[in-house]
Amino acid sequence: MIWLKTLPIVHAQRLNAQYTVLTVEDKDLAAASHPGMFCELRAPNQEGRQFKPISIYGVEGTRLSFFIKSVGFGTDALCALQDGDTLEMMGPLGNKFPVFAGKKALLVSGGVGYPPLAWLKANLPDGTTVIHLHGGASSEDIFDCDISCTMDGSEGHQGLVTDLVLPLIQEHGINLIYSCGPVGMLKKLTELSGDIPHFVSMEAYMACGVGVCHGCVIPVGDGFQRVCKEGAVFDAKLIDWRQL
Amino acid sequence: MMKTKLGRLALDSPITVASGTFGMEYFEIMDVFDAPILPQDKLGAYICKTITPLPKAGNPPPRIYETECGMLNSIGLPNPGLQCFLDEELPILLEKLSIPLIVSFSGGSVDEFCMMLETLEKAEGIAGYEINVSCPNVENEGIAFGADSDVLYQLVSRLAPLTNKELIVKLSPNVTDIGRMAKAAEAGGASSISLINTLWGMAIDWQTGKARIPRKVCGYSGKGVKPVALALTYQAAQAVSLPILAMGGISCWQDALEFIYAGASAVAVGTSNFTDPGAPARIYDGLLEHLKAKGSGIKDLIGTVS
Repeated sequence: MIWLKTLPIVHAQRLNAQYTVLTVEDKDLAAASHPGMFCELRAPNQEGRQFKPISIYGVEGTRLSFFIKSVGFGTDALCALQDGDTLEMMGPLGNKFPVFAGKKALLVSGGVGYPPLAWLKANLPDGTTVIHLHGGASSEDIFDCDISCTMDGSEGHQGLVTDLVLPLIQEHGINLIYSCGPVGMLKKLTELSGDIPHFVSMEAYMACGVGVCHGCVIPVGDGFQRVCKEGAVFDAKLIDWRQL
Repeated sequence: MMKTKLGRLALDSPITVASGTFGMEYFEIMDVFDAPILPQDKLGAYICKTITPLPKAGNPPPRIYETECGMLNSIGLPNPGLQCFLDEELPILLEKLSIPLIVSFSGGSVDEFCMMLETLEKAEGIAGYEINVSCPNVENEGIAFGADSDVLYQLVSRLAPLTNKELIVKLSPNVTDIGRMAKAAEAGGASSISLINTLWGMAIDWQTGKARIPRKVCGYSGKGVKPVALALTYQAAQAVSLPILAMGGISCWQDALEFIYAGASAVAVGTSNFTDPGAPARIYDGLLEHLKAKGSGIKDLIGTVS
């Protein structure tokens, strides 16, 4: 099912000036959600404006949470919401991360690419070795993970997450990669991942969210695929990164 | 009360969905969607996405950008092409639809338009056609025929003798004199016109100086275009006696009613489908309630702006 609901926010947690986590309660949505999926969200004072696609950050019981970065008028309005305010939402949408037993997985996220991987990490099969490598511009962009990088050196290693990928692959015998983040990071990571299976959660401007408008496509193979419908999770090797 | 007429077509409702905004992907999800999408008891007709002779992949991303008051798009008419439409999509549309199906199509030459129409005429179940001569997002199809009244007349006059079904010509707002274009469609033999396709639009990231859409200039739709669309509907209605299917920023029943006063016999909901999938049903309900209270039918109000 795809639900269109207006739900009260049971908890709005302001992490810092840029990031907010919104939690709602709904048994239908919680039961149908899996890591990699997203919902279209809209603040109540944004009527007539488009929903914003936001990946699901986690499900606990009947509660779902969304980890949102203020980047424009839609997400600014979402991040300003408080406990008890309502949230318009449509979802859950898109596909989910494929999972495999007995793997040594490297999770690589950048900036607001963090939430889908944080939830995936908590849901990988028992026996999976997991390293979550996360990077951002500064310490404000860093959240709970195994290894962090910042461009300004304010937390963790100074530099890009991709600087650390090859040594981690070699040292830990990584045989599966999941990623989400800025296109530049994903491109580089796809080069570095070689033959290792690599699944990437893509971001795109989106209108309908359900595959109708063809607005959110990315180049895949010799054509285009919709981030909202065939994605948001893609096999990174099938994406034509030169066009992005 | 809600019955109206669009040329040769009698419609049970003046509300339709604009081509391209209500693709047949909705048929795949309508049974799993918890909202009244495609409420056929409230829609006068269904207009499919534009079909071209050969398959088109569409334009490179990003294809959309939301502006302060509306949406930019450069989708580029992705479609499976005429043959695949006839073989795969049309049977599904005919199975699912209980309302008239209007097929939107475009071509790269007059001969291609004629070939499309002749081929579609052989299929069963199509109630009418919307000739797309106004897409701003492709190089060769559409707009090349919709920017010059003589070229438009030549095209429509070749197409009109090929069908007895409803023949709608969809006009571009990006012209100097909409009345002249409407007259060209009428003289060529169109049985109705629809307007507006998207306006030229553009957005630039001021921080980088980069255009938000790779083709730079693209189509602008949504709330911000409504006053323009309303004015062009009025001007076209003054210029010709053809019925008008109007669209451009309609998001509520009051908007729909304004277009009817301006001269529209029917209206289409477009960009609003993306911000509220239940918009067409809501617009129908509101309009019906208003007309009941007023004691008027749609037909009494068309073009009566004072």
